[in-house]
Amino acid sequence: MKFINMGTFIMVVLIGSLFSIGRSQENQSSNVKLAGDPYVYTEWESFTVESTHGALINDHIFCLEGDENQLWIGTEGGLVLYEDGKWKSWTEENGLPWRVISGITKSPKTGDLWLAMLGYGIARFSAGRFDHFDQMNSGLLNDVVYGVATEGDNVWAATTAGISCFNTVTGLWDIYDEKNAPMEEVWSYNVDARDGKVYVAVWGGGILEWDVATRIWKDYVDPDREMEIDLYRDDGLIHIITTSASYIDHVLWASTYFGLSRYDGRNWRGYMEIDSGLPSDFINLAVGRSGTSCYVSTDKGLAVLVDYDTDTWVTYKRDSESDEIWTAHVMVGNNTIMTIPTNLTLPNHFVICSEFTGNDLWIGTGHGLARGSGRGYWDGLQKTQVK
Amino acid sequence: MKRSSSISLLISVMIISGYDLCAKDSTTYGKTPAEYMPYGRFFEPYRRFFLEPLEYTGYGRNIPEPENITSVKIGFIGPIIRTISETTGGITNDIPLKVNQRTMRWDGYRASHEGALGIKMLQGAMLAIEKANSAGGYREKIPYHLVVKNDNGEWRSSGKAVVDLAYKDMVWAIVGTIDGANSHIAIRVALKIEIPIMNTADTDPTFVETNIPWVIRGITDDRQMCYLLADFAFKKMKLKKVAAFRVNNRYGRMSIDEFRDAATRLGFPFIAELNYEDGDIDYTSQLERIKNLDADGVITYGNARESALILNQMREMGMDQWFLGSDRMVTQEFLDIVGDTPGNIVAGYPYDPTRDDPVFDQFRNDFRERFGEYPETYASHGYDGVSMVIKAIEKAGLNRALIRDELVAMTSYHGVTGIKEYDTVFSDRSPAYLAILEDGKFEFYSFEEMLKIKHPSDG
Repeated sequence: MKFINMGTFIMVVLIGSLFSIGRSQENQSSNVKLAGDPYVYTEWESFTVESTHGALINDHIFCLEGDENQLWIGTEGGLVLYEDGKWKSWTEENGLPWRVISGITKSPKTGDLWLAMLGYGIARFSAGRFDHFDQMNSGLLNDVVYGVATEGDNVWAATTAGISCFNTVTGLWDIYDEKNAPMEEVWSYNVDARDGKVYVAVWGGGILEWDVATRIWKDYVDPDREMEIDLYRDDGLIHIITTSASYIDHVLWASTYFGLSRYDGRNWRGYMEIDSGLPSDFINLAVGRSGTSCYVSTDKGLAVLVDYDTDTWVTYKRDSESDEIWTAHVMVGNNTIMTIPTNLTLPNHFVICSEFTGNDLWIGTGHGLARGSGRGYWDGLQKTQVK
Repeated sequence: MKRSSSISLLISVMIISGYDLCAKDSTTYGKTPAEYMPYGRFFEPYRRFFLEPLEYTGYGRNIPEPENITSVKIGFIGPIIRTISETTGGITNDIPLKVNQRTMRWDGYRASHEGALGIKMLQGAMLAIEKANSAGGYREKIPYHLVVKNDNGEWRSSGKAVVDLAYKDMVWAIVGTIDGANSHIAIRVALKIEIPIMNTADTDPTFVETNIPWVIRGITDDRQMCYLLADFAFKKMKLKKVAAFRVNNRYGRMSIDEFRDAATRLGFPFIAELNYEDGDIDYTSQLERIKNLDADGVITYGNARESALILNQMREMGMDQWFLGSDRMVTQEFLDIVGDTPGNIVAGYPYDPTRDDPVFDQFRNDFRERFGEYPETYASHGYDGVSMVIKAIEKAGLNRALIRDELVAMTSYHGVTGIKEYDTVFSDRSPAYLAILEDGKFEFYSFEEMLKIKHPSDG
């Protein structure tokens, strides 16, 4: 792995810092202007197996779960914890039921960690012990589990054969598939729970919404009901091939392999490569940071919708295969206003997941992990200081 | 049936036929004729998908080849075990699976109703492996090895099978499967793991409409077959009141979709769409309804046995309409059940198995010598699929991403099923054929030949 030298690093940080107090007008489009300054992550640390001398046990990062102090990392080769600059890992040799971790959630009530394992069910990691649940010893609908989420006492699992919900107090399972939920297909891919709702991205079936209070499902599908087109931009979910759902501030962010959708309970908004800051329509995961901001992991970089109202984006990617560093593109819609170099050096920008620890931003890629420093972070847009 | 390949003749036929031929330019996905475009008469969509080749932008190409391997493994997933008994080693009843509040029936192994098809696909795959090994194996050094997993139908085990093939068996690519749902499940896992999948049997149009850059489909799909069937039914035979009677599963629901849409867009929506359960033997109540609606055609999508039983009951009830169906009814089993005077019958078919082609002739002879019978469609397409994978491995080396690159670079491939053309989503878009039952055997017609079929109203 190649790292840029210290001189370049200092230069990049300096440029990033300068951007925080003002922005260059030189690159700005004549017709489209920024309404304010978005925060741009310019200072990054990159981690690979090589750079960490094996502490990060696998470079293929599938999922991240973080809070203020800890980052849990699900990889193709095991589970990793990064805390206070130190690494710890678990593989099958020390009790992990299966090494391929496709989803992680931490229960805020118990502190237990729940793991989705690709092809081998789910596991609870509690007090140093792994408890293994699969389709032969539990109510798990299928061993291929892509995502998990906690809601109250419940753990929800998105499996390739439907949705399983485990009540950790009663020990009972509820299962949902085409027989008792409005699922055109059952191939569940991702689940998110917050504020009395559970949202499931069903690959081929759109988005399912579970109301915790009423215990009623509601489905959201592509209104044009065609695979090969999107008839109108804002008529509803862009496509039924959904990959993730993220619910925050009573706003739903839904990703597909055909673009991103936002739903505020009344209006839909669609985003694609042709009309937004998305570098690609192929979205692996969307994580809402607020009702007006979303972090979008695509196969061609990370796109951040910083401010919904002004359609302001910051997109991080390698501009060409030969580039050693990633570049931040500050955009309004799909108009690039300016580009800012960063010191992010991961060799591939196939971004699979993103997560936050405090103000810091983490991304997991097909080859490596990186942390963007959120020092001085601000939400949305700051009033432009240089005119 | 002999065919002319003369371009001038084809153009002449197109000009004089009076038929609306497809707008097959680069802005058209799936060779969709303009008149069959969704919302085509009303509105230009905000976005059309699948017009550019799918990309893989990950890191996989940089993974080094392994050393000291003793075989080059290719995975196979297919419904090859027919019964619960075989799968569980003797247990013949459904297995109750307790999930606390309710008891589920472990009914998944039932789905090996496609076992007859899967076994043929496996035979084709095996023959391709054996042929490659007889030529020396991988780069004339290392033998190929087919790692076989059973596809346990509704138990939806194909995803787990891909996981095990990729992580435990360490195969380089996977071929399979047949069932639409299980094929979808398999490719989603393959995308996550980043391993190429060659599908040679799932004709569901939506299978490749998922933007997954790791999937190649080596069989003409129901989109193409339905367009041709619709052209024949509504334009050539001038049917106006077609009823659908299909199996109540994903195959029946999804595969008939393009015919349903085409019928609607031509102004002849189904007068009824009824269904039956796989394994049913009495269709009287549904057929009574269709009979009372005075349908001039009935289209079915289902397996050969059920399609044949439906046809027999229709004829017994005095229903002599055109009977349209899927490629799954173009089998000897169907012919054996329907007998000598089944009336007007037509089906879509993904290739012409009666054409003159030395490549196909050689395969037929080799297959018969190996298995004691001639190959059918699943065997033939399975053979082509594995042969393409082997060709890609030979060029790419032992790297899944590079194998994927070589597979998708094969935009044309001359296999035993003909010269295949692949589109932007790596799906075989070779022309479909009509299989029309004539004098106790199916005869195969291309689109152009179909135009020349004489209709009673032609005088």
